[in-house]
Amino acid sequence: MRKIGVAVAAWLAFITAAHLSMNVDWKVLLNDRLPERERKLNVAYIPVT
Amino acid sequence: MFQGFPEIKEALISNQMQAAFMVAPMAIALRAQGVPIKIVYLGHRYGSAVVVQKNGPVHSFADLKGRIVAVPSRYSDERLILFRAMAANGMSARDLRLVEMAPPDVAGALAAGAIDAFSMGEPYPSQAESAGFGRVLFHARQYWPDFISCVLVVRQDVIDRRPEAVQVLVDGIARSGLWLENPPKRRARREHAADFVGRFYYRQDPKLLKWALTKPLERVQYQPLTPLRKDFELIVRLMRETGVLDHDIAFEDYVDPRFAEGAKHETEWRYEPGDASAE
Repeated sequence: MRKIGVAVAAWLAFITAAHLSMNVDWKVLLNDRLPERERKLNVAYIPVT
Repeated sequence: MFQGFPEIKEALISNQMQAAFMVAPMAIALRAQGVPIKIVYLGHRYGSAVVVQKNGPVHSFADLKGRIVAVPSRYSDERLILFRAMAANGMSARDLRLVEMAPPDVAGALAAGAIDAFSMGEPYPSQAESAGFGRVLFHARQYWPDFISCVLVVRQDVIDRRPEAVQVLVDGIARSGLWLENPPKRRARREHAADFVGRFYYRQDPKLLKWALTKPLERVQYQPLTPLRKDFELIVRLMRETGVLDHDIAFEDYVDPRFAEGAKHETEWRYEPGDASAE
């Protein structure tokens, strides 16, 4: 039972870490926390000329 | 990166994005509806075309009568160019069946026969051409000299509070345009730009962007990018005539020309393919 608990916890930790590294844009999150004058502008575009 | 203009509009209104490249009529329509944004620069000139099936029955604009043509938005220059072509060919709005479609979907829809033609910005005309199933019926400049499509819009609160940041953005675009249009190095630089933009920004095959930027070199132009009154007053008139704008709007209400003015003395980026950074 203890082995199963450790395996589940390890799996959850791995999935969480993978999600945070692949699906969270840390640059954007950190940029949003900067004072306004230091913040980079977010510029939207679509892949056309 | 977004996949359609409606999503960009929402992101801009909600302040998730502070600036955006969008089709000029959409920017004008948003401003006319009271959204606090201004056009500060152009993204490019030309670079839009009407494409039909390569081996299909459409060989002239008149052949499009009764057929389905996709446009990126009802608020787009790609829709307005069709109205200009219709007027030049003695046709009316009822002669075409216009449908709105996200730009990345049009080439597939044409290949599958779901539409008969599309009016769209690059690289989608190039995509249909290079893949062998599409044929350019006409480029926008044929019916609209000085054609413009995407413009850079910025939220008014950003313009008011951080004009220096907006100027840096506009200066950077101006310098990129000058870099791409340097006469003796034009082809080599466009090929290099196609490579890194395709891989790192657009997530598209660099060969496709190379086609769009070099076949021919004038297919898309990145100078001059200053928003001119005459170009925008023509767009407003066409929007009024085609029913997507219900009142006139003054050029000063939707364009802030001071950033383009401030970028006029910029020079091209000092960068050659292989350099670690640009100055």
